[in-house]
Amino acid sequence: MSDQLLDRPPELVVKVEAGEATARKTASRRKMRQTAFIVAGWIAMVLVWEFGSWWFGARILPRPHEVVLEMGEILGNGNFASDFTASVLKTFAGFGVAAAVGAPIGYLMGRYGYWRAFFHDGVTIAGTIPAIVYAVMSLIVFGLSNLGPILAVALVSAPYVALNVAEGIRGVDKSLITMSEAFGRSAKQIRREVLIPTIVPFVFAAIRMCFAVAWKVEALTEVFGGRNGVGFQIRTEYQLYSISGVLAWMFLFIAFMLVIERLVLAKAEARLLAWRPEERSTAL
Amino acid sequence: MSTVIENRRRSTTEIAESTPEWKRRLTSDTAARLTAGISFFLFWLVVAAVFTRVPGPVEVVQRLGDEFARGEVFGNFGVTLYRFGVGVALATVFGIVIGVMMGLSKLSRAFFESPVLVGLSIPAIIWSFLTVMWFGFGDTSPIVTTFLTAVPFVIINVAQGVRGVSRDLRDMSSTYQVPLLRRMRDLVLPAVTGYVAAGIRFAVIIGWNGVLLAEWFGGSGGVGYRARFWYDANRYGGFAAWVVLFVGFIVILDRLVLDRAISRAFRWRDNSA
Amino acid sequence: MAVLTVRDLSKTFNVGTPRASRVLDNISFEVQGQTFVSIVGPSGCGKSTLLNIISGVEEHTSGDISLKSDQGGDARMGYVFQDPRLLPWRSVMKNMMYVQDELNEETTARARRYLDMVGLAKNADFFPGQLSGGMQQRVGIARAFAVEPDLLLMDEPFSHLDAITARGLRAQLQDIWAQSKKTVVFVTHDVVEAVELSDRIIVLQPGGRIYEDITIDLPRPRRQSDPTVATLQAEVLARLEKMKAATQVAAPVA
Repeated sequence: MSDQLLDRPPELVVKVEAGEATARKTASRRKMRQTAFIVAGWIAMVLVWEFGSWWFGARILPRPHEVVLEMGEILGNGNFASDFTASVLKTFAGFGVAAAVGAPIGYLMGRYGYWRAFFHDGVTIAGTIPAIVYAVMSLIVFGLSNLGPILAVALVSAPYVALNVAEGIRGVDKSLITMSEAFGRSAKQIRREVLIPTIVPFVFAAIRMCFAVAWKVEALTEVFGGRNGVGFQIRTEYQLYSISGVLAWMFLFIAFMLVIERLVLAKAEARLLAWRPEERSTAL
Repeated sequence: MSTVIENRRRSTTEIAESTPEWKRRLTSDTAARLTAGISFFLFWLVVAAVFTRVPGPVEVVQRLGDEFARGEVFGNFGVTLYRFGVGVALATVFGIVIGVMMGLSKLSRAFFESPVLVGLSIPAIIWSFLTVMWFGFGDTSPIVTTFLTAVPFVIINVAQGVRGVSRDLRDMSSTYQVPLLRRMRDLVLPAVTGYVAAGIRFAVIIGWNGVLLAEWFGGSGGVGYRARFWYDANRYGGFAAWVVLFVGFIVILDRLVLDRAISRAFRWRDNSA
Repeated sequence: MAVLTVRDLSKTFNVGTPRASRVLDNISFEVQGQTFVSIVGPSGCGKSTLLNIISGVEEHTSGDISLKSDQGGDARMGYVFQDPRLLPWRSVMKNMMYVQDELNEETTARARRYLDMVGLAKNADFFPGQLSGGMQQRVGIARAFAVEPDLLLMDEPFSHLDAITARGLRAQLQDIWAQSKKTVVFVTHDVVEAVELSDRIIVLQPGGRIYEDITIDLPRPRRQSDPTVATLQAEVLARLEKMKAATQVAAPVA
């Protein structure tokens, strides 16, 4: 780049530099304008909220700062940690079950026509069943125990995992399979070196997609019948008619789950998918 | 060429001729589906036997018959469908408008991005709590819950579709000076229709959960209310009968209507499958 | 080295459906010893299908095919494809070792030696995504040679590369082949390339029959600048044109 500049006559260099400076300035102005609009989006949200509290009355829609204060209080008294860990552990346990059941089913579906026909209807139907059905069903099966939310999370996530893995297997680069067969690789080697690396990104996509749904279902099941966890706290506050309590617990849970998503899942994904050129550039 | 050929591989004609008829029939797709249905049924029987609180198939069919006999089914479904329909329709209209804006301009994307993300992450249960508080028992609370849970999904799908209209094709259109109307009809609409359909499908599935939740807590009729009635009475057979109904409803809507609409809208994408 | 016998081989796609189409029609030939055989023909004449059947990746519809090592037993195969076909999630060296039957010092050293021959020794730890298309194809060639195959199959390995890279790789291929002298079956639609590389050219015509079996008797190494090579190339090209004219006349009748 700089060599090219040196070859040019001096006045042209100046012009090029001036042009670059203008371009940089427009780019930064555009960026600033974009940031301003993002901020405007947040402000608009708060304003709508404030308007709502004025319209409905602060008793049934508390004002933003009240909720923030409530959040501070929850964080301050320190009891939140046990509820958060309970909810997070249940969510991940449910995930574990979903992956253990869903991934093999998806593998079979992607690899063999027979199993595809066998599972296809069931898995698509399971994917459209409303979460409330899973939550209540889990409660009926397990009653008021920690197993209820785990089962609900597993039931909601397993179809996603299965469909994604099946999609991944079917989308596997056929030419790599042909190559492996042409070189006489065993089925086991093909599975380990071609199929599994192919489906890893799909499993992650499934997990990230599920995660957003799963913790909501987990909380929902706790609302219906839990003895601890964030959902349990939300129900308690609701029964006390403390809407600010409900909202405070919810926002804390959302924030917490976003952090977990970014830190745990995104990091693990970046590490496992280091071979992908585009992943590498974003990781840097 | 009189050498005896060793290590010979069988040709497909030979393999096909050596596979017996019964084996081919047993591994067909229809047989697989039938086996799956039977397996599910057996699984249900086993679960019902192990967990005493889980109603078995016979009980559920009986309860289903009872509900029909009492005339509870059609009235409640009518009420729920009205709320659900209005909520999803509103979500579709608002979702398309905002989604198209977000797809077309970077600044409106910046503006709407955070509200949509927040909307996506607020659980349906919170909306149903809040709307019951705000609007009391009635049609408004389930409608608003359906709308609020569904609209972010329509928005992101539509925005993605609009943004995905290939830049190359847009450039191509402007070099050939294709008139705007034809450009909308032949380039933007076909590219976006599939995404809109996919967004509506999401809205339907998510909104159905929303309306059920709102009715569960709302206490003003509808299928969700009726299901809760049996749940609270500890008559899980009655609850399961309603589960069969509303799962059946969403599956029929999804498979027979939405899925076909989507594959039609996306049929240009690949012919192989 | 390998002994490959193909007798009355036919391949029909979509058997028993209205879309059934025959791509190979009663083909018979034999290949053995230190020969470099090219299969040439216009696109769609079943060249790649034939190669896939030889390698066992695809099944034939009828006829017989046998392949064995001249030392007895199963023939070991190497395959160079049109595209590199490397595992994107494994490094270059791991890709080389993936196709080896045994992982030991000997095979590792061999993989390194062939990687060095194609000039990529210092890229052993790169991911394929970090290499250019031509470099990836070179890894593909090194990989095929490194299994020390009895039979080496090549399916238009240079067709996706630009002309200059392709010429360089052809020269490299000749050098490596001169050192190792495998039995090679090389598929291409490019007659010029076939004459430059092979001892024998089997010409397929549309519809999947053998049109001609030409022996190329030229000293090696051959370079494109050599006038005798060019003369022969022109001659074979002319014969192929004649075939094209003949089959085009024949097509409407059939």
